[in-house]
Amino acid sequence: MFHGIDPRSPIPLYVQIAERVRLAIATGALDPAAPLPSVRQLAAELRINPATVVQAYRDLEAQGFVEIRHGAGTFVRELAPGRRARERSQQAVALVRKLLAEARRSGVTLAELQRALETELGVKAT
Amino acid sequence: MTAQFRAVLYTQWKWSRIIVVLGTVGAFAIPLLSLQGAARADRGALQAQDLLRSVQSWGTLYPLLAATLGLLVAIAAWAADHRGRHIHALTLPLPRWRYVLLRFGAGFALLAAPIAAVLIGALLATVTATLPPGLQAYPLALALRFALAVFVAYAVFFAVSAGTARTAGIILAVIAALILVQVVASMANLDLNLLETLQAALVFGPGPLVVFTGRWMLVDV
Amino acid sequence: MNQAILIEGLHYRVGKTFAISELDLHVPVGSIYGFLGPNGSGKTTTIRLILGLLRPLGGRITVLGDPMPEHYARVLGRVGYVPEQPHLDGTLTVGELIAFQSAFYPRWDRARAAELLTKFELDAEQLFGRLSKGQKAKVMILLALAQCGELLVLDEPTDGLDPVVRRDILGALLTYVSERGATIFISSHLVHELERVCDWVAVMDNGRLITESPMEKLKHGTKRLVVSGAPRDVTNPPFRMLAREAGNGAGESWVVGDWEPDMASYIEGLGASVRDVIDLDLEDGFVELLRSFRRVPQ
Repeated sequence: MFHGIDPRSPIPLYVQIAERVRLAIATGALDPAAPLPSVRQLAAELRINPATVVQAYRDLEAQGFVEIRHGAGTFVRELAPGRRARERSQQAVALVRKLLAEARRSGVTLAELQRALETELGVKAT
Repeated sequence: MTAQFRAVLYTQWKWSRIIVVLGTVGAFAIPLLSLQGAARADRGALQAQDLLRSVQSWGTLYPLLAATLGLLVAIAAWAADHRGRHIHALTLPLPRWRYVLLRFGAGFALLAAPIAAVLIGALLATVTATLPPGLQAYPLALALRFALAVFVAYAVFFAVSAGTARTAGIILAVIAALILVQVVASMANLDLNLLETLQAALVFGPGPLVVFTGRWMLVDV
Repeated sequence: MNQAILIEGLHYRVGKTFAISELDLHVPVGSIYGFLGPNGSGKTTTIRLILGLLRPLGGRITVLGDPMPEHYARVLGRVGYVPEQPHLDGTLTVGELIAFQSAFYPRWDRARAAELLTKFELDAEQLFGRLSKGQKAKVMILLALAQCGELLVLDEPTDGLDPVVRRDILGALLTYVSERGATIFISSHLVHELERVCDWVAVMDNGRLITESPMEKLKHGTKRLVVSGAPRDVTNPPFRMLAREAGNGAGESWVVGDWEPDMASYIEGLGASVRDVIDLDLEDGFVELLRSFRRVPQ
């Protein structure tokens, strides 16, 4: 779930970690009441500052995705059903934004992009 | 403090155990060997002379052994620290003087073995020998003198060894310079006797090194 | 005490050429503080001064609330130190070294020592002198961690070690920090390793401090800008101008530090425009910092 965390990316590490957790929750890879890895474990495994993990978990708690139980660990919360769908669509939007930014940077036009999308999906737009 | 002393003692034992064991064996043997001839009771007045000569000549080994033991145990006490440039010792959480004291005490505790060996060997030799009339044995005095010599040698070499490599180097350089001057002087036929004067001052003058001079007699008149 | 290590106006001289001058460092309690700098910049000397192995010529050093080097005996009981070169006796076994060390630290954690012995795959019967470089480093880390100090001072602990050993060591350090909330002061020239772990970083070059800042600020504040139409003189910008090079037609290439996105309006105020903002990773930023620092006559 956490492999590929990039300390060199401009996105702060704690944001990257929180994003992965949110994605896993949204896609159902993490069930409600499932425990997240302990701060100590994750910090040692990813070789990052434990404070970073703590910050990620705290942010997730503030956003309502997890619950930190002192002494027991951090656990996924039961999400309202609409919430999960909303989270997924947010992830989709983020992906598309990334794609468009990349395209702009490499000089690919919108039309070329659309054509490539259709080819890949095997669907022709009318 | 005792846990620390035990820890230091353990490491110093590991570093100097061969020296201490060999020294102890030697220290035990010398008094026995020096009284070898005294077991035979069928000699006349001449035996006393032979015995005294034997005791005296074997006796020259005591100061040598004391100096050697003092030197080697002192070197062993500091060799490891010197190798690591003292970084380990300097980052231990205790005052430096206390650390030095621990090392000193540990070394001296180890030297108790050869000292005891001299005492036991001397006592054993005295008990098993038949001394010709007019001669007396002084095992206790001998052992005490040996203990003092060991202590002095150890203390002196410990102090030298504890200094930085630079200090030790300076001392050696001074000695080398003295020898060089002496050699040059004798080649130029100058009447200069540096080393002897120095030796006289150090060893014969009043001071702790006097203990090394003179005759070491287990048995005497 | 909210600083584990506080250095004020430190001054020290080594021979005629090299000197540490006017060094100020603030290491917050509980932080993982990286001390970066090229070889020969004075990192090891600074660490030796912090530990009381050297006496400063000027300035003040306070470690865990106590002045150094005056209170060295008391402070060192709460500090775990791993030097650059192995400093332990090669004729003793790993087990003997552990036994020796444990006698001097009342808070010695025997369980942790045993746990690390297994985790690091060390053999207690092996002579220290016969161990590989990585195993020696592991032993030194084991001793420092089992001492249960509030502060760990590590001088290039993973330099020259293979990636597997580096992982093991970092993992053990981070576990310790999570469990005990200790402060770690780690010097290195391996920028990438510090990047993922440190929350503060200080950069040193040639005996002087170039910058001391939170890691995020240094990482994300260092950018390469493509700027067109800028005037020749840019005085007192809100960011740090590290380098300025003529571009290839698209504009000049500026390397800046302490950049924040709203500073673009300042550049526009000069009559110029920012064509692009490129992120620099810590290594690039570090190199540019050093270059710009060295250009200025001292």
